[in-house]
Amino acid sequence: MHAGTSTTHDAHDVHDHIHPPPEGFVRKYVFSLDHKVIGFQYFFTGLLIMFIAGSFAELVRLQLTDPKGAIMSHQAYNTMFTMHGTAMVWLVLIPLVTGALGNFVMPLQIGARDVAFPWLNMASFWILPLAALILFSSLLFGGPHAGWTEYPPISLADGTAGALWCAAIFTIGISSTMTGLNFMVTIMKMRAPGMTWTRMPLFVWATFATALMNMIATVALSAAVGALFLEHVFNVPFYDAARGGSAVLYEHMFWFYSHPAVYIFIIPAFGVVSEVIPTFSRKPIFGYKMIAFSSMAIAILAFTVWAHHMFPSGLAPWLQLPFMILTYAIGIPTGIKIFSWMATLWGGRIHFTTSMLYALGFLITFTFGGITGVFLASVPVDLHAHGTYFVVGHFHYVVAGGAVMGFLAAIPYWYPKATGRMLSERLGQLGFWLFFIGLNGTFLPMHWLGLEGMPRRYASYVDFAKAVPDAVFWNQFETAFSFLMMASIGLLAFNVIWSLRHGKVAGINPWGARTLEWTISSPPPYYNFKKVPEVYGRPYDFDKPLPYRNTDNELDAFPEYGKTVMPTPQPVGAGV
Amino acid sequence: MAAAAVQHLAGHEAVAARYRDVDRAYGETRDLRLLGFMFFLVSDCILFSSFIFAYVYLRVSAPTWPPIVDGHQLPWFDTSFAAMNSVVLFGSGVTMHFALENWKHLNTRKFNGWLIATIVLGIGFLLGQAHEYSVVNISWQGSTMGASFFTLTGMHGFHVFIGVCYLAILGIQANRGVYTSSKYFGLTAGTLYWHFVDVIWVALFSLFYLW
Repeated sequence: MHAGTSTTHDAHDVHDHIHPPPEGFVRKYVFSLDHKVIGFQYFFTGLLIMFIAGSFAELVRLQLTDPKGAIMSHQAYNTMFTMHGTAMVWLVLIPLVTGALGNFVMPLQIGARDVAFPWLNMASFWILPLAALILFSSLLFGGPHAGWTEYPPISLADGTAGALWCAAIFTIGISSTMTGLNFMVTIMKMRAPGMTWTRMPLFVWATFATALMNMIATVALSAAVGALFLEHVFNVPFYDAARGGSAVLYEHMFWFYSHPAVYIFIIPAFGVVSEVIPTFSRKPIFGYKMIAFSSMAIAILAFTVWAHHMFPSGLAPWLQLPFMILTYAIGIPTGIKIFSWMATLWGGRIHFTTSMLYALGFLITFTFGGITGVFLASVPVDLHAHGTYFVVGHFHYVVAGGAVMGFLAAIPYWYPKATGRMLSERLGQLGFWLFFIGLNGTFLPMHWLGLEGMPRRYASYVDFAKAVPDAVFWNQFETAFSFLMMASIGLLAFNVIWSLRHGKVAGINPWGARTLEWTISSPPPYYNFKKVPEVYGRPYDFDKPLPYRNTDNELDAFPEYGKTVMPTPQPVGAGV
Repeated sequence: MAAAAVQHLAGHEAVAARYRDVDRAYGETRDLRLLGFMFFLVSDCILFSSFIFAYVYLRVSAPTWPPIVDGHQLPWFDTSFAAMNSVVLFGSGVTMHFALENWKHLNTRKFNGWLIATIVLGIGFLLGQAHEYSVVNISWQGSTMGASFFTLTGMHGFHVFIGVCYLAILGIQANRGVYTSSKYFGLTAGTLYWHFVDVIWVALFSLFYLW
């Protein structure tokens, strides 16, 4: 689609839609082809698994209230933290940020009626519950024990449970790859006429970078766990050192995916923050191009830093140095983003809605986690801290304080669009403070405990508690605060369900936001856009009229900006 | 001679004209599918690349290659038979190209002939692989060499098998009138897939038999 043909799009109407209107309960809500319904399905499935995986984490925390281990056997403890990590990374975070947010928001923001391959999209979703069943069924066989990375040779002792773990990760990998492929094609080919690359909303840029990593990196993980599966089931020697295999090989293949995986769930959160901050500061985003290109820079650099997870594995020194430097280099595009958001806030008219609170909280906790990440990139520091709680603290600041906070900022922001009702602000803001305080209370003490030498993944820490008597207090402190986060997520689930009925009616554009999804009704009809809109500018210029023509609703329905007067559309150049 | 050339060019012109006149909606769908299919091939390529990386890593880090198992060094692979088998597979890439070209030029009979030749060559390659597996003197479980060899060539053979089934289905569809001379995305995808399987074999043959 390119700008030169834009006038012919007036002839398009809803009959051109890629699939016919759904009829019957099953077609509408179960095997739906509609990206919005699929987004909902991802959302509720992800939230359900988040409760399960979160309960595992609470069991882990309860165990650590006593240095001898309070509630379960060491074997059960190993299973709990393994299942917590595995389920959170692959069955919660990636499906929530790419599946739920990407599916619901991205096609609306580019003015498309659906993703490129709706059937593939549906298949990608239905693989998720299948993978969850396979993963949780491994509990019947004793569960995997080797941590979410399942390093051989330890994981080779897991037997059937280990094989099921591999099968689950392989299966969910297929889903991620297909979603990535689908989103790549959608963003490259299905943008509304006039929406050039540098006019795309920043969430779309983030989704594009994520989809690229999903498509390329996930397959490497599939190969790594596929080979591990063969070793489990058919005794094929890839990783068994006794027969010439190499456990370090697994680490290479695993981290070649799993480092990008961290960015797969953080970059959509960047995208959310890039939407939320300008909207609630009422200011154009600062450094649009720098934010957009730094997402791509992070996506590309992500493939060059995997071995920084392997410094203690006996990596050759001549390899350690470039990986260390490249890891530092990631701080540059990330810092550009942080400073651009701060510059956007500067002098803005800031509205402290729930979304904005989460976005501001994100700036604090994510930056903190990012800085400890720069510490860990340094080889000497990493060799000291790698096996300690410092890494756990760093990782959770980035993931819970970054990816989850970004996701939680997105829920109140797009919920009115998705359902036509507002979430309760009162409950939402209470939820934010519970989450923010709980997060810092849980993960901040881990940093000093780790630097004092508390080893991670241990079911008991009697010796450490003798050496550092404070350790017991701080662990009980962390456990207490971790329940605040759990309460916050519970509050969110209640809010989401309660507001479906009782929330205030949202209207088309409750936030005065400017991307394309706010020009259609809430919730959007199944075909999204009656008329294909035309775009002739970026969505963030709050001092100018909206840069759209041919929209379904009168744009001066947005009182925030007074009467909007459409300027003459400028030629946008060939080939969008 | 000249008349044949003129006729040939006229054929090309007819193809180009049909391509121009193809209706917009189909054109857009085809573009989406083509890009999506290319991305699928990219991700599939990375699957192979990962296992190739594993093979290279294990081979480079091994003290001797072929590895020593139970005090005996394993034998090298026999290059000559595999080379002949490779020619069979590469030949099938050529025949598939002719099949698609003939479809574009509306020579349905020639299309069928070339497609059947492709399928036969593909099955021939698979039989050759089966023979190779039966005579090769290493086992899947016995060594890292066997693990990489059987996993990679097995994955490739599975791709060839899927390809043969895919081409057979495409042949049936084509003869039932699913495709026209201007709307034949399925055939394009089948051809791309088949060439992809060829290219992967170039890498595998070089790494196992020539290195």
